[in-house]
Amino acid sequence: MGGGGFCMEPDNPALDDYILGLARSPLPKVCLLPTASGDGEAQIRQFHATFGARACEPMHIALFRLGIHPVPLRETLLAQDVIYVGGGSMLGLLAVWRALGLDAILRECWQAGVVLAGLSAGAMCWFEWGISSSLGAPAPAPGLGLLPGSLSVHCDGEPARLPVFRHAVRGGTVPPGWAADDGVGLLFRGSALQDVVSSRPRARALRVEPGADAPVAARRLTVREQFGDPPDIAEYRRMRLSR
Amino acid sequence: MEPGNPLLDSYVLGLCRRKRPRVCFIPSASGDADHYVVRFYRHFHGGICEPSHISLFRRDCGPGKVREHLLAQDIIYVGGGSILSLLGVWRAHGIDADLFAAWRAGVVMCGVSAGSLCWFASGLTAYHHDARPYRGLGFLPYSNAVHYEEESSRRPAYQAALLDGSLPAGYAASDGAALHFVGTDLHRVVLSRREARAYRVETVGDEVVELPLEATYLGDRPPIALVA
Repeated sequence: MGGGGFCMEPDNPALDDYILGLARSPLPKVCLLPTASGDGEAQIRQFHATFGARACEPMHIALFRLGIHPVPLRETLLAQDVIYVGGGSMLGLLAVWRALGLDAILRECWQAGVVLAGLSAGAMCWFEWGISSSLGAPAPAPGLGLLPGSLSVHCDGEPARLPVFRHAVRGGTVPPGWAADDGVGLLFRGSALQDVVSSRPRARALRVEPGADAPVAARRLTVREQFGDPPDIAEYRRMRLSR
Repeated sequence: MEPGNPLLDSYVLGLCRRKRPRVCFIPSASGDADHYVVRFYRHFHGGICEPSHISLFRRDCGPGKVREHLLAQDIIYVGGGSILSLLGVWRAHGIDADLFAAWRAGVVMCGVSAGSLCWFASGLTAYHHDARPYRGLGFLPYSNAVHYEEESSRRPAYQAALLDGSLPAGYAASDGAALHFVGTDLHRVVLSRREARAYRVETVGDEVVELPLEATYLGDRPPIALVA
Protein backbone atom coordinates (compact mmCIF):
# COMPACT_ATOMS: atom_id res chain seq x y z
CA MET A 1 0.00 0.00 0.00
CA GLY A 2 1.23 3.44 -0.86
CA GLY A 3 -0.35 4.52 2.41
CA GLY A 4 -3.68 3.61 4.01
CA GLY A 5 -5.14 0.88 6.16
CA PHE A 6 -5.53 1.12 9.92
CA CYS A 7 -2.35 3.15 10.41
CA MET A 8 -3.47 6.04 8.22
CA GLU A 9 -7.21 5.77 7.67
CA PRO A 10 -8.63 4.03 10.76
CA ASP A 11 -12.19 4.94 9.72
CA ASN A 12 -11.82 3.35 6.30
CA PRO A 13 -11.29 -0.40 6.60
CA ALA A 14 -11.52 -1.10 2.86
CA LEU A 15 -7.85 -2.00 2.36
CA ASP A 16 -7.60 -3.94 5.61
CA ASP A 17 -10.71 -5.94 4.70
CA TYR A 18 -9.28 -6.52 1.24
CA ILE A 19 -6.11 -7.95 2.82
CA LEU A 20 -8.13 -10.23 5.10
CA GLY A 21 -10.05 -11.41 2.03
CA LEU A 22 -6.78 -12.59 0.47
CA ALA A 23 -6.03 -15.00 3.31
CA ARG A 24 -6.49 -18.71 2.84
CA SER A 25 -8.53 -19.12 6.02
CA PRO A 26 -11.96 -17.66 6.87
CA LEU A 27 -10.57 -16.77 10.30
CA PRO A 28 -7.06 -15.72 9.34
CA LYS A 29 -4.22 -15.34 11.77
CA VAL A 30 -2.91 -11.82 11.24
CA CYS A 31 0.37 -10.70 12.75
CA LEU A 32 1.46 -7.07 12.87
CA LEU A 33 5.17 -6.29 12.70
CA PRO A 34 5.35 -2.72 14.01
CA THR A 35 9.16 -2.66 13.73
CA ALA A 36 9.37 0.36 11.42
CA SER A 37 7.67 2.52 14.05
CA GLY A 38 10.04 1.24 16.74
CA ASP A 39 7.15 -0.94 17.98
CA GLY A 40 5.17 2.25 18.62
CA GLU A 41 2.32 1.84 21.09
CA ALA A 42 -0.09 3.92 19.02
CA GLN A 43 0.35 1.71 15.94
CA ILE A 44 -0.07 -1.48 17.97
CA ARG A 45 -3.18 -0.14 19.70
CA GLN A 46 -4.80 0.93 16.44
CA PHE A 47 -4.03 -2.45 14.86
CA HIS A 48 -5.80 -4.30 17.66
CA ALA A 49 -8.69 -1.83 17.60
CA THR A 50 -9.16 -2.44 13.87
CA PHE A 51 -8.44 -6.14 13.59
CA GLY A 52 -9.84 -7.08 16.99
CA ALA A 53 -13.30 -6.17 15.64
CA ARG A 54 -12.89 -8.30 12.50
CA ALA A 55 -13.12 -11.98 11.72
CA CYS A 56 -9.51 -12.86 12.37
CA GLU A 57 -7.02 -13.73 15.08
CA PRO A 58 -4.81 -10.68 15.44
CA MET A 59 -1.47 -10.58 17.23
CA HIS A 60 1.68 -8.50 17.04
CA ILE A 61 5.37 -9.14 17.58
CA ALA A 62 7.36 -6.31 19.17
CA LEU A 63 10.94 -7.17 18.22
CA PHE A 64 12.34 -4.51 20.57
CA ARG A 65 10.66 -6.17 23.51
CA LEU A 66 11.60 -9.79 22.81
CA GLY A 67 13.78 -9.72 25.92
CA ILE A 68 10.67 -9.20 28.05
CA HIS A 69 8.20 -11.11 25.87
CA PRO A 70 10.11 -13.88 24.08
CA VAL A 71 8.41 -15.24 20.95
CA PRO A 72 9.70 -18.11 18.78
CA LEU A 73 9.94 -15.96 15.66
CA ARG A 74 10.12 -18.54 12.87
CA GLU A 75 7.39 -20.82 14.19
CA THR A 76 5.06 -17.94 15.03
CA LEU A 77 5.46 -16.17 11.71
CA LEU A 78 5.16 -19.35 9.63
CA ALA A 79 1.88 -20.11 11.40
CA GLN A 80 0.29 -16.84 10.21
CA ASP A 81 -2.05 -16.35 7.28
CA VAL A 82 -1.21 -12.66 6.97
CA ILE A 83 1.87 -10.71 8.07
CA TYR A 84 1.11 -7.00 8.12
CA VAL A 85 4.02 -4.57 8.34
CA GLY A 86 3.32 -1.10 9.70
CA GLY A 87 4.84 2.16 8.49
CA GLY A 88 7.79 4.12 9.84
CA SER A 89 11.48 4.05 9.06
CA MET A 90 12.39 1.71 6.18
CA LEU A 91 16.07 1.85 7.08
CA GLY A 92 15.37 1.05 10.73
CA LEU A 93 12.93 -1.70 9.77
CA LEU A 94 15.36 -3.56 7.54
CA ALA A 95 18.30 -3.06 9.90
CA VAL A 96 16.41 -4.64 12.79
CA TRP A 97 15.02 -7.45 10.64
CA ARG A 98 18.47 -8.32 9.32
CA ALA A 99 19.99 -8.16 12.80
CA LEU A 100 17.42 -10.66 14.06
CA GLY A 101 17.32 -12.87 10.95
CA LEU A 102 13.78 -11.90 9.97
CA ASP A 103 14.76 -11.32 6.35
CA ALA A 104 15.26 -15.05 5.88
CA ILE A 105 12.19 -15.99 7.93
CA LEU A 106 9.92 -13.67 5.95
CA ARG A 107 11.19 -15.07 2.66
CA GLU A 108 10.31 -18.52 3.95
CA CYS A 109 6.83 -17.30 4.96
CA TRP A 110 6.32 -15.81 1.51
CA GLN A 111 7.34 -19.08 -0.16
CA ALA A 112 4.98 -20.94 2.17
CA GLY A 113 2.06 -18.83 0.96
CA VAL A 114 1.64 -16.38 3.82
CA VAL A 115 0.12 -13.09 2.60
CA LEU A 116 2.70 -10.35 3.12
CA ALA A 117 1.13 -6.91 3.42
CA GLY A 118 2.09 -3.48 4.60
CA LEU A 119 2.04 0.21 3.97
CA SER A 120 4.71 2.79 3.34
CA ALA A 121 8.02 1.37 4.67
CA GLY A 122 6.08 -1.85 5.24
CA ALA A 123 5.25 -1.99 1.51
CA MET A 124 8.56 -0.85 0.01
CA CYS A 125 10.48 -3.40 2.07
CA TRP A 126 9.26 -6.28 -0.14
CA PHE A 127 10.75 -4.79 -3.32
CA GLU A 128 14.32 -4.58 -4.54
CA TRP A 129 14.31 -0.82 -3.93
CA GLY A 130 12.20 1.84 -2.29
CA ILE A 131 12.40 5.57 -1.72
CA SER A 132 13.00 6.10 1.97
CA SER A 133 13.07 9.30 3.97
CA SER A 134 14.60 7.62 7.02
CA LEU A 135 17.65 9.85 6.76
CA GLY A 136 15.68 13.06 6.14
CA ALA A 137 15.39 13.82 2.42
CA PRO A 138 13.91 11.04 0.24
CA ALA A 139 16.60 8.73 -1.16
CA PRO A 140 16.74 5.27 -2.77
CA ALA A 141 17.07 2.43 -0.26
CA PRO A 142 17.42 -1.29 -0.97
CA GLY A 143 14.66 -3.62 0.24
CA LEU A 144 14.39 -7.37 0.74
CA GLY A 145 13.90 -7.98 -2.98
CA LEU A 146 11.13 -10.58 -2.76
CA LEU A 147 9.35 -8.60 -5.48
CA PRO A 148 11.30 -7.47 -8.53
CA GLY A 149 11.52 -3.77 -9.24
CA SER A 150 10.86 -0.83 -7.00
CA LEU A 151 8.09 0.99 -5.16
CA SER A 152 7.68 4.57 -4.06
CA VAL A 153 4.86 5.45 -1.66
CA HIS A 154 2.73 8.43 -0.57
CA CYS A 155 2.84 9.70 -4.12
CA ASP A 156 0.11 12.28 -3.47
CA GLY A 157 0.65 12.76 0.29
CA GLU A 158 4.41 13.38 0.12
CA PRO A 159 5.06 14.81 -3.34
CA ALA A 160 8.84 15.17 -2.79
CA ARG A 161 9.32 11.43 -3.28
CA LEU A 162 8.20 11.01 -6.87
CA PRO A 163 10.84 13.27 -8.50
CA VAL A 164 13.58 11.46 -6.55
CA PHE A 165 12.11 8.11 -7.63
CA ARG A 166 11.85 9.13 -11.31
CA HIS A 167 15.39 10.48 -11.27
CA ALA A 168 16.73 7.27 -9.71
CA VAL A 169 14.89 5.09 -12.26
CA ARG A 170 16.03 7.24 -15.20
CA GLY A 171 19.60 7.23 -13.92
CA GLY A 172 19.53 3.46 -13.54
CA THR A 173 20.32 3.36 -9.78
CA VAL A 174 16.86 1.91 -9.14
CA PRO A 175 15.04 -0.60 -11.40
CA PRO A 176 11.67 0.40 -12.91
CA GLY A 177 8.68 0.06 -10.62
CA TRP A 178 5.54 1.62 -9.24
CA ALA A 179 4.60 4.77 -7.40
CA ALA A 180 1.43 4.52 -5.32
CA ASP A 181 -0.82 7.17 -3.81
CA ASP A 182 -2.10 6.98 -0.26
CA GLY A 183 -4.98 4.54 -0.27
CA VAL A 184 -3.70 2.47 -3.20
CA GLY A 185 -2.84 -1.21 -2.84
CA LEU A 186 -0.90 -3.28 -5.35
CA LEU A 187 -1.52 -7.03 -5.21
CA PHE A 188 1.21 -9.35 -6.40
CA ARG A 189 0.91 -13.11 -6.75
CA GLY A 190 4.35 -14.57 -6.96
CA SER A 191 6.13 -11.66 -8.53
CA ALA A 192 3.37 -10.65 -10.96
CA LEU A 193 1.13 -7.64 -10.40
CA GLN A 194 -2.42 -8.92 -10.31
CA ASP A 195 -4.68 -6.22 -8.98
CA VAL A 196 -4.55 -2.51 -8.18
CA VAL A 197 -7.14 -1.36 -5.67
CA SER A 198 -7.95 1.85 -3.88
CA SER A 199 -9.79 2.90 -0.76
CA ARG A 200 -10.18 6.49 -1.90
CA PRO A 201 -11.65 8.18 -4.95
CA ARG A 202 -9.14 9.42 -7.51
CA ALA A 203 -6.19 7.62 -5.89
CA ARG A 204 -3.94 6.00 -8.46
CA ALA A 205 -0.68 4.27 -9.17
CA LEU A 206 2.00 5.02 -11.73
CA ARG A 207 4.28 2.66 -13.57
CA VAL A 208 7.64 4.41 -13.66
CA GLU A 209 10.03 3.37 -16.42
CA PRO A 210 13.25 5.00 -17.60
CA GLY A 211 11.39 6.45 -20.58
CA ALA A 212 8.09 7.68 -19.18
CA ASP A 213 5.40 7.18 -16.55
CA ALA A 214 2.21 5.32 -17.30
CA PRO A 215 -0.83 5.73 -15.05
CA VAL A 216 -2.31 2.48 -13.72
CA ALA A 217 -6.03 2.52 -13.05
CA ALA A 218 -7.00 1.51 -9.52
CA ARG A 219 -10.23 -0.34 -8.82
CA ARG A 220 -12.15 1.50 -6.11
CA LEU A 221 -12.96 -0.72 -3.15
CA THR A 222 -16.13 -0.19 -1.25
CA VAL A 223 -16.47 -1.69 2.15
CA ARG A 224 -19.04 -4.50 2.54
CA GLU A 225 -20.14 -4.11 -1.05
CA GLN A 226 -17.24 -6.27 -2.10
CA PHE A 227 -16.73 -8.21 1.08
CA GLY A 228 -20.07 -8.86 2.70
CA ASP A 229 -19.77 -11.19 5.65
CA PRO A 230 -20.72 -14.81 5.11
CA PRO A 231 -23.23 -15.84 7.82
CA ASP A 232 -20.75 -17.83 9.91
CA ILE A 233 -18.28 -14.95 9.95
CA ALA A 234 -21.02 -12.50 10.88
CA GLU A 235 -21.99 -14.74 13.78
CA TYR A 236 -18.40 -15.06 14.92
CA ARG A 237 -17.97 -11.30 14.79
CA ARG A 238 -21.13 -10.73 16.84
CA MET A 239 -19.88 -13.22 19.46
CA ARG A 240 -16.54 -11.55 19.57
CA LEU A 241 -17.98 -8.10 19.97
CA SER A 242 -20.40 -9.18 22.69
CA ARG A 243 -17.60 -10.64 24.81
CA MET B 1 17.68 6.65 35.45
CA GLU B 2 16.86 4.33 38.35
CA PRO B 3 13.57 5.33 39.96
CA GLY B 4 14.26 7.41 43.04
CA ASN B 5 18.01 6.90 42.78
CA PRO B 6 19.91 9.65 40.96
CA LEU B 7 23.37 8.53 42.15
CA LEU B 8 24.69 7.20 38.83
CA ASP B 9 23.10 10.03 36.83
CA SER B 10 24.76 12.60 39.13
CA TYR B 11 28.04 10.75 38.83
CA VAL B 12 27.96 10.92 35.05
CA LEU B 13 27.01 14.62 35.07
CA GLY B 14 29.85 15.23 37.52
CA LEU B 15 32.37 13.93 34.98
CA CYS B 16 31.91 17.09 32.93
CA ARG B 17 33.41 20.44 33.74
CA ARG B 18 30.51 22.39 32.28
CA LYS B 19 27.94 23.43 34.84
CA ARG B 20 25.01 22.35 32.69
CA PRO B 21 26.48 19.58 30.55
CA ARG B 22 24.91 18.83 27.18
CA VAL B 23 23.42 15.35 27.41
CA CYS B 24 22.00 13.54 24.40
CA PHE B 25 19.87 10.45 24.92
CA ILE B 26 19.83 7.74 22.23
CA PRO B 27 16.92 5.36 22.86
CA SER B 28 17.35 3.28 19.63
CA ALA B 29 17.58 -0.03 21.53
CA SER B 30 14.01 0.45 22.78
CA GLY B 31 12.70 1.48 19.35
CA ASP B 32 12.66 5.09 20.62
CA ALA B 33 9.95 4.21 23.16
CA ASP B 34 8.03 7.34 24.17
CA HIS B 35 7.90 6.45 27.86
CA TYR B 36 11.67 6.01 27.91
CA VAL B 37 12.29 9.39 26.31
CA VAL B 38 9.94 10.96 28.87
CA ARG B 39 11.83 9.22 31.68
CA PHE B 40 15.11 10.61 30.37
CA TYR B 41 13.79 14.17 30.38
CA ARG B 42 12.39 13.68 33.87
CA HIS B 43 15.78 12.57 35.22
CA PHE B 44 17.97 14.80 33.07
CA HIS B 45 15.89 17.96 33.27
CA GLY B 46 16.87 21.44 32.21
CA GLY B 47 17.76 22.40 35.77
CA ILE B 48 20.87 20.21 35.81
CA CYS B 49 21.83 19.83 32.15
CA GLU B 50 20.94 20.64 28.55
CA PRO B 51 19.06 17.51 27.52
CA SER B 52 18.23 16.37 23.98
CA HIS B 53 17.51 13.07 22.30
CA ILE B 54 17.92 11.48 18.89
CA SER B 55 15.07 9.42 17.57
CA LEU B 56 15.98 7.36 14.51
CA PHE B 57 12.53 5.83 14.10
CA ARG B 58 10.63 9.10 14.33
CA ARG B 59 12.47 11.41 12.04
CA ASP B 60 10.00 14.24 12.69
CA CYS B 61 11.66 14.96 16.02
CA GLY B 62 15.21 15.40 17.14
CA PRO B 63 18.08 17.26 15.51
CA GLY B 64 18.52 16.95 11.76
CA LYS B 65 22.28 16.84 11.64
CA VAL B 66 23.06 13.85 13.81
CA ARG B 67 26.84 13.88 13.56
CA GLU B 68 27.21 17.56 14.35
CA HIS B 69 24.81 17.24 17.23
CA LEU B 70 26.64 14.26 18.71
CA LEU B 71 30.00 16.00 18.43
CA ALA B 72 28.62 19.01 20.30
CA GLN B 73 27.65 16.96 23.36
CA ASP B 74 29.38 16.50 26.69
CA ILE B 75 27.60 13.23 27.38
CA ILE B 76 25.94 10.66 25.14
CA TYR B 77 23.60 8.39 27.06
CA VAL B 78 22.42 5.20 25.38
CA GLY B 79 19.27 3.55 26.67
CA GLY B 80 18.62 -0.16 27.14
CA GLY B 81 16.66 -2.60 25.00
CA SER B 82 17.68 -4.95 22.20
CA ILE B 83 21.44 -4.94 21.56
CA LEU B 84 21.12 -6.55 18.11
CA SER B 85 18.52 -4.05 16.99
CA LEU B 86 20.57 -1.19 18.43
CA LEU B 87 23.71 -2.14 16.53
CA GLY B 88 21.80 -2.94 13.34
CA VAL B 89 19.97 0.39 13.33
CA TRP B 90 23.11 2.36 14.16
CA ARG B 91 25.11 0.71 11.41
CA ALA B 92 22.29 1.28 8.89
CA HIS B 93 22.28 4.99 9.77
CA GLY B 94 26.06 5.33 10.04
CA ILE B 95 25.76 6.39 13.69
CA ASP B 96 28.54 3.98 14.67
CA ALA B 97 31.08 6.18 12.88
CA ASP B 98 29.57 9.35 14.38
CA LEU B 99 29.81 7.89 17.88
CA PHE B 100 33.40 6.90 17.33
CA ALA B 101 34.23 10.44 16.25
CA ALA B 102 32.45 11.81 19.34
CA TRP B 103 34.28 9.40 21.64
CA ARG B 104 37.64 10.34 20.12
CA ALA B 105 36.73 13.99 20.60
CA GLY B 106 36.32 13.41 24.33
CA VAL B 107 32.55 13.09 24.70
CA VAL B 108 31.61 10.94 27.71
CA MET B 109 29.82 7.81 26.46
CA CYS B 110 27.55 6.01 28.85
CA GLY B 111 24.56 3.76 28.90
CA VAL B 112 22.62 1.07 30.61
CA SER B 113 22.19 -2.59 29.67
CA ALA B 114 22.32 -2.72 25.83
CA GLY B 115 23.62 0.85 26.14
CA SER B 116 26.62 -0.57 28.04
CA LEU B 117 27.15 -3.69 25.93
CA CYS B 118 27.43 -1.68 22.71
CA TRP B 119 30.75 0.01 23.58
CA PHE B 120 32.62 -3.27 24.01
CA ALA B 121 34.13 -5.61 21.42
CA SER B 122 31.55 -8.30 22.07
CA GLY B 123 29.12 -9.86 24.46
CA LEU B 124 26.08 -12.10 24.51
CA THR B 125 22.56 -11.32 23.43
CA ALA B 126 20.01 -12.56 25.88
CA TYR B 127 16.73 -12.38 24.09
CA HIS B 128 14.93 -15.73 23.83
CA HIS B 129 17.21 -17.22 26.46
CA ASP B 130 19.25 -18.21 23.47
CA ALA B 131 22.37 -16.20 24.14
CA ARG B 132 24.57 -15.69 21.10
CA PRO B 133 27.78 -13.69 20.71
CA TYR B 134 27.51 -10.42 18.77
CA ARG B 135 30.07 -7.90 17.59
CA GLY B 136 29.83 -4.56 19.39
CA LEU B 137 31.31 -1.19 18.44
CA GLY B 138 34.59 -2.25 20.01
CA PHE B 139 35.69 1.08 21.51
CA LEU B 140 36.64 -1.02 24.55
CA PRO B 141 38.54 -4.18 23.53
CA TYR B 142 36.85 -6.46 26.05
CA SER B 143 33.64 -8.39 26.43
CA ASN B 144 30.85 -7.13 28.68
CA ALA B 145 28.02 -8.76 30.61
CA VAL B 146 25.14 -6.89 32.24
CA HIS B 147 22.38 -7.81 34.73
CA TYR B 148 25.06 -10.24 35.84
CA GLU B 149 23.49 -11.31 39.10
CA GLU B 150 19.88 -10.46 38.33
CA GLU B 151 19.25 -12.78 35.38
CA SER B 152 20.20 -16.33 36.32
CA SER B 153 21.05 -17.48 32.78
CA ARG B 154 23.53 -14.69 32.00
CA ARG B 155 26.40 -15.72 34.22
CA PRO B 156 26.74 -19.37 33.10
CA ALA B 157 26.23 -18.40 29.44
CA TYR B 158 28.89 -15.68 29.67
CA GLN B 159 31.37 -17.95 31.39
CA ALA B 160 30.76 -20.76 28.87
CA ALA B 161 31.39 -18.31 26.00
CA LEU B 162 34.66 -17.19 27.60
CA LEU B 163 35.74 -20.80 28.01
CA ASP B 164 35.00 -21.86 24.44
CA GLY B 165 36.80 -18.79 23.15
CA SER B 166 33.82 -17.09 21.52
CA LEU B 167 34.29 -14.05 23.78
CA PRO B 168 37.47 -12.31 24.96
CA ALA B 169 38.07 -11.58 28.65
CA GLY B 170 35.94 -8.75 29.98
CA TYR B 171 33.91 -7.03 32.62
CA ALA B 172 30.61 -8.03 34.19
CA ALA B 173 28.31 -5.75 36.16
CA SER B 174 25.20 -6.32 38.21
CA ASP B 175 22.37 -3.77 38.28
CA GLY B 176 23.50 -0.61 40.07
CA ALA B 177 27.18 -1.11 39.27
CA ALA B 178 28.89 1.18 36.74
CA LEU B 179 32.23 0.55 35.04
CA HIS B 180 34.04 3.82 34.37
CA PHE B 181 36.71 3.63 31.69
CA VAL B 182 39.14 6.40 30.78
CA GLY B 183 40.37 5.67 27.27
CA THR B 184 40.32 1.90 27.24
CA ASP B 185 41.48 1.48 30.86
CA LEU B 186 39.13 0.75 33.71
CA HIS B 187 39.33 3.80 35.95
CA ARG B 188 36.95 2.92 38.75
CA VAL B 189 33.74 1.10 39.63
CA VAL B 190 30.92 3.02 41.26
CA LEU B 191 27.68 1.76 42.77
CA SER B 192 24.23 3.21 43.19
CA ARG B 193 23.22 0.24 45.35
CA ARG B 194 25.36 -0.97 48.17
CA GLU B 195 24.98 -4.64 47.22
CA ALA B 196 25.86 -4.18 43.55
CA ARG B 197 28.98 -5.91 42.21
CA ALA B 198 31.30 -5.80 39.22
CA TYR B 199 33.89 -8.34 38.12
CA ARG B 200 36.80 -8.77 35.80
CA VAL B 201 36.14 -12.15 34.20
CA GLU B 202 38.78 -14.10 32.33
CA THR B 203 39.94 -17.63 31.67
CA VAL B 204 43.03 -19.19 33.13
CA GLY B 205 43.69 -22.52 31.48
CA ASP B 206 40.32 -24.20 31.32
CA GLU B 207 38.87 -22.32 34.26
CA VAL B 208 36.95 -19.08 34.50
CA VAL B 209 38.28 -16.64 37.07
CA GLU B 210 35.91 -14.01 38.42
CA LEU B 211 37.80 -11.22 40.11
CA PRO B 212 35.54 -8.96 42.20
CA LEU B 213 36.42 -5.32 41.53
CA GLU B 214 36.89 -2.76 44.24
CA ALA B 215 33.95 -0.40 44.09
CA THR B 216 32.76 2.83 45.68
CA TYR B 217 29.18 3.20 46.84
CA LEU B 218 28.09 6.67 45.77
CA GLY B 219 25.47 7.06 48.48
CA ASP B 220 27.85 7.55 51.39
CA ARG B 221 27.74 11.22 52.18
CA PRO B 222 30.90 12.88 53.39
CA PRO B 223 30.94 12.96 57.20
CA ILE B 224 29.38 16.09 58.65
CA ALA B 225 31.84 18.15 60.64
CA LEU B 226 30.36 18.99 63.98
CA VAL B 227 31.22 22.45 65.17
CA ALA B 228 30.94 22.91 68.89
